[in-house]
Amino acid sequence: MATSTYLTNPVVTVNSVALTGFCTSATMNRVQESIDTTSFGQSSREYSSGLANNECTMTLFMTYAASEVYATLKALVGTRTTVTLKPTSAATSATNPVLTLTGAYLETLPVLTGAVGEMSQIDITFTGGVYTEVIV
Amino acid sequence: MKLIIVSELVGTPGDQYVPAEGINVEALLEGGFIKQEKPTKEKSED
Repeated sequence: MATSTYLTNPVVTVNSVALTGFCTSATMNRVQESIDTTSFGQSSREYSSGLANNECTMTLFMTYAASEVYATLKALVGTRTTVTLKPTSAATSATNPVLTLTGAYLETLPVLTGAVGEMSQIDITFTGGVYTEVIV
Repeated sequence: MKLIIVSELVGTPGDQYVPAEGINVEALLEGGFIKQEKPTKEKSED
């Protein structure tokens, strides 16, 4: 049984714009690439830590209204920015940290996607950047 | 030049916007989320 819940009311910002009200899914992965350091004489693979290669993916309802989703993202394609996720909207603390990627790169923006009878949603991925946790 | 918040998705409209590290200010200006407040000229006393 889960003893606590999280990400039920997360706070999502992209380039300091609060996109929580448009976001239906968000994942931030902290990735540390592995380097194979196995040598002759060893019977199992051995790895060392390489470069960090973090990423953040999110699904957003697409809107083209002024100062909403498209306006937030269109100028970020091909640039680096800061993305934050916070598990809940409560005050920032050690149990509700602001998870931040600084210098994350947006390579692709689906500018139009959709199907009959559906709300238009886009999936975007920010890659790279420095991961930090803010607790105060 | 002072940056002023326009959209409530960024903060309280009318407040000064101070970008955190890594924020793409040009994109915020282009999207209309903030605006630049031009410095007012002081009248010279003759």
